[in-house]
Amino acid sequence: MKFKADEIASVIQKEIEDFRGSIETSEVGRVLEVGDGIARCYGLSNAMASEMVEFPSGVQGMVFNLEENSVGIIILGDYLDIHEGDEVKCTGRLLSVPVGEAMIGRVVDPLGKPLDGKGPIVASERRPIETIAPGVAGRQPVKEPLQTGIKAIDSMTPIGRGQRELIIGDRKTGKTTIALDTIINQKDGNVTCIYVACGQRSANVAAVVDLLTTHGAMDYTIVIAASASDPAPLQYVAPYAGAAMAEHFMHQGQHTLVIYDDLSKQAQAYRQLSLLMRRPPGREAYPGDIFYCHSRLLERAVKLSDELGGGSMTALPIIETLEGEVSAYIPTNVISITDGQIYLEPDLFFAGVRPAINVGISVSRVGGNAQNKAMKKIAGSLRLDLAAFRELEAFAQLGTELDKATQAQLDRGYRMVEILKQPQYEPMHVADQVISIFASANGYFDDIPASQTSRAEKELLQFMKEQKSEVRDNLIKLAELNDDSVDELKSALDEFKRGFQLETKEQPTAAST
Amino acid sequence: MVHVLEDPSAQAIAHVYSNAFLNVAESVGIDGVLEELASFLDDVLEQNPEFRNILLSDIVSRDDKLAMIDRVVAPLGTELFTNFLRTLARHERLELLPLILSESWLLHESRTGRKRVQVLSARPLSEAALHDVQTRLDATFSFDPILETQTNPALLGGLVIRVDNTVYDGSLKNRLKQLQDRLCKRSLHEIQSGRDRFSHPEGD
Repeated sequence: MKFKADEIASVIQKEIEDFRGSIETSEVGRVLEVGDGIARCYGLSNAMASEMVEFPSGVQGMVFNLEENSVGIIILGDYLDIHEGDEVKCTGRLLSVPVGEAMIGRVVDPLGKPLDGKGPIVASERRPIETIAPGVAGRQPVKEPLQTGIKAIDSMTPIGRGQRELIIGDRKTGKTTIALDTIINQKDGNVTCIYVACGQRSANVAAVVDLLTTHGAMDYTIVIAASASDPAPLQYVAPYAGAAMAEHFMHQGQHTLVIYDDLSKQAQAYRQLSLLMRRPPGREAYPGDIFYCHSRLLERAVKLSDELGGGSMTALPIIETLEGEVSAYIPTNVISITDGQIYLEPDLFFAGVRPAINVGISVSRVGGNAQNKAMKKIAGSLRLDLAAFRELEAFAQLGTELDKATQAQLDRGYRMVEILKQPQYEPMHVADQVISIFASANGYFDDIPASQTSRAEKELLQFMKEQKSEVRDNLIKLAELNDDSVDELKSALDEFKRGFQLETKEQPTAAST
Repeated sequence: MVHVLEDPSAQAIAHVYSNAFLNVAESVGIDGVLEELASFLDDVLEQNPEFRNILLSDIVSRDDKLAMIDRVVAPLGTELFTNFLRTLARHERLELLPLILSESWLLHESRTGRKRVQVLSARPLSEAALHDVQTRLDATFSFDPILETQTNPALLGGLVIRVDNTVYDGSLKNRLKQLQDRLCKRSLHEIQSGRDRFSHPEGD
């Protein structure tokens, strides 16, 4: 398209002719001191808590502290352009972000400004970043599943739409990977995803965006990035901005998933601001309202009642622990707020169990109601079996001779652990998960060496998809296991086993030659 | 206008003292008392820096300061003013004197229905223009405005009027900014809708 210079000029000329500027009335104050992302101002006698203010350089700020003689402001942008004595203007508005369809597929900062170089975002609507969560009457119990595509999670710590499930673990244990797998698994679904990167390295955020793009997940995802080099105020508001963007879709009856990666960094940013503002420090120097800071954010994750459209917001907050210390202040706070947690362990991670989920202490408090019925049936005993296996495994390491039954239980356990391993960014359909877990729980993999279980599983799923698609389709359609479907499944598995045994026989000869 | 180095909390304290001072002074005549306070600052403290240093110094004890006020100020000043100085000395607030004077003036003005109004313009206003502004403001505000004019070439034209913390911005600079915002917004929408037209499979 080519612009015609005359046309543009005449449009602009008309615009200028019609322009009637109005006198702008505003309330002002003066900057007394500024530094480290905060400013203290004199004046602004009618400023409200959380009101937006504007500095002469165009940078925005938010009223944080109202004191007897001055107002504490957090600066949402570059504070190096602000000087002592600058005039600061009240805007009479609360901090808000643009929301709507125009944001999808974009990478934005916590104020909704684009960071991806794909041009300006024209959103017709805005939403305040802080809103009160829906009350008791506006909610309904969590009953619809949100599939993560990860076997270990969907079977043992299932997540429902509207749930808040914490992902917790040390650094480099695969926390973000679980979150990203969940986003990728929403492809072809009806869930809008929002990934909030808070205090992350910019390189990591770029890698996440790249990964989501290659898997086609950016078509339904918004990425909000407040990297480690952004000022603390931006890191502090980023999760609230993400929640606001999700709420917009939720109130239109849609389903949303928000990932806060991670809240421990946000807590640190909030601690920095609070200390600079001279709010009294408490445990670990966090301010007294750090619990409220997280609880009001996570309380906004909700399954709305049918009268309100039945939309939902599922929240997956991430917390990084230090040396597995879950009894530190922020981890205990967030554990107590959320409806369960997925606990990742470095020991498991380095032993090759990936995702490195410790199924013993990972729980989901409400997701069970939302779980797929077929999955519920086969996963019921899985957790107990695995717990028994862990106990036996410790016992077996002593080198004592075991009776046959115990040895069989151990062997089953090893295969179960193998089956629950899953490569990253390869989420599985729930029907495939049911088939895999059903096969291993019913001993179909018992005579296959543990090292070959994953190959067997892969081939089984391919076999089911290609040759027994009616069984798989039936599982998807019914979403439960009745006697007929169990028989169907069993006969299909027998058929697969007959084909597979031949291949395993060739394996040793191939290895020996 | 508040200077950045001024301490808002000191100002708040000065406000309390000024209020009390004016309440007492009402019986005697406020103008005379304020004149005495101003003259004490200008003719006594300004002219005799050593005396000021002793009076404002932390090293000199409270009793010594009181004795000095009795010896130096009491024979010459009015009783009310001397008592006020003694009160300040007793509470160790003598360093607030200049602030108290300016606060007292402002308070006195507001009590008599007057208020300072800052008028900012791009160029110095002519007498006639100033008169016009004065009459318009008289008619608009419920109080008696006292104009303080300032110039700032960056405004380009028009006036910015400030009363307390409220600013009425009618400058050319602000209007140009409004126009710029509007043009930007308009063309943004044009560009976006143009792009949508191309990206839509069923577009025109």
